[in-house]
Amino acid sequence: MASSDPDTAGGLTESARANRAFWDGYSTEYQALHHEALGGDPAWGLWRTPDAQLGVLGDVAGLDVLELGCGGAQFSLQLAARGARVTGLDNSEAQLAHARALQEQFGLSFPLVHGQAEQLPFPAESFDLVFNDFGAATFADPLPMIPEIARVLRRGGRLAFAHASPLDWLCFDDDADAWGSKLLHPLFGMRSETDTAGTVAFNLSHGEWIRLFTSCGLQIERLVEWQPAPDAVSTYRDEPTCAWARRWPIEEIWVVSKP
Amino acid sequence: MSGPGRDPATTPASDSAADAVANREAWNAKAPDYAEAGRRAWSGERPPSWGLWHQPESELNVLGDVRGLDVLDYGCGTGYWSAWLTRAGARVTAFDNAPEQLATCRRFQDEFGIAFPIQLASAGQLDPERFRDASFDLILSEYGGLTWADPYATLPECARLLRPGGRLAFLKISTLLEVCWPLGSAVAGDELVLDWFGLHRLVEPADSSVAFDLPPGEWIRLFREHGLVVESLRELRPPADAAPSRHAFVMLDWARQWPAEELWTVRKA
Repeated sequence: MASSDPDTAGGLTESARANRAFWDGYSTEYQALHHEALGGDPAWGLWRTPDAQLGVLGDVAGLDVLELGCGGAQFSLQLAARGARVTGLDNSEAQLAHARALQEQFGLSFPLVHGQAEQLPFPAESFDLVFNDFGAATFADPLPMIPEIARVLRRGGRLAFAHASPLDWLCFDDDADAWGSKLLHPLFGMRSETDTAGTVAFNLSHGEWIRLFTSCGLQIERLVEWQPAPDAVSTYRDEPTCAWARRWPIEEIWVVSKP
Repeated sequence: MSGPGRDPATTPASDSAADAVANREAWNAKAPDYAEAGRRAWSGERPPSWGLWHQPESELNVLGDVRGLDVLDYGCGTGYWSAWLTRAGARVTAFDNAPEQLATCRRFQDEFGIAFPIQLASAGQLDPERFRDASFDLILSEYGGLTWADPYATLPECARLLRPGGRLAFLKISTLLEVCWPLGSAVAGDELVLDWFGLHRLVEPADSSVAFDLPPGEWIRLFREHGLVVESLRELRPPADAAPSRHAFVMLDWARQWPAEELWTVRKA
């Protein structure tokens, strides 16, 4: 079992340190809540929309794949089972412990790396596909991370990630702990947000994401904005939130390529 | 689907000819209101600038050096962008769907001595004999054909008209403002009132004009489908001390917090 030492703590950014502390403490509870929903065929986001429906990843057999913020590595295991050569990276050793246990359970082995996505310990042009599902694109700073991803992608390679839409950020009512129709937060200046648990999440406006991608030589392929099914169930969001997300995108997937 | 006045059709096939007639009538009626603003731009009093708060092209640097480029002003209105671009050394062709707007444009051509060909035509329905394949280096639309005609018709048309390496730059209301602006209301608010999903064809009850917009993901899907590479999405933010816009459908305070206007630039591969 390949696993790097958690030896980068001294070099961690402040947000990575905060997020590591949170996820190390929360991991077991998180896996108990969501592990079952994360199983099965590859699927994205809060309501586990099948990749077969969204058509984001397609056939991954034979590809060198990096999951950034793999958590329990359920998604990576599904891709490994479909013939991808997967590497999983996560900032939380506790999450990686769950990933290792799952690898043993499924009899699949691939490298699991402990580190933060803003500093990737991989040579240039190592991967055909970098992806995450509410992983590093949520919890790592995109301004240093996207250039790192561009570096480790091969020509013709792709980056795909699901995360909260900017609209999700604009309309979240902290007091009500729910999404409403009022614009409560500005879009200009959107960058990071620290929640009550101390985790730091990152996001940008669509224009700023596009500026960041293109500045790193990445080409915009898709921005998938989709609705959950009316009767979709989620271990992450309640029914009123599903109704909100039927009208306005609460999650989205960027797909970009390295020409 | 929901949202007041939202067209129930979600299919890309809208009745383009009927919409063009409705918009022609609406813009013929509005044309006198646009003459004075057009004159300020034509005269050079207002330098090349974008959007409701006239943000200078010299700061946004969307177009770069246009000298010698074949440019299509895609829904030119009073032709102020055509005048600016002709002055800057571009070879401009302009068209608009509203004869009254073109009449203003012709008057200013005579008054200011700036000449470029103008045609009466409807975006999305351009005659391939008059508007040839791969004949433009730049297509520009500021609240023009990319707003007032169906993007499912206009984007393939723009892709057809552009040379390889040519660019399309268009300014429109942001999708966010679109869904915060109740149809029939004079001003947008800070509350989501229209659905994002299915956003496409928007009928203004007051004058039956028909505007179009899409969610950004659908714009990107259409760009890629037609071989257009995304260069940038500029989310315009007016300066805090911007002079009031003569268009009152969105307040400066709103536009300082959220982008009221978006400027896409894409390039034909």
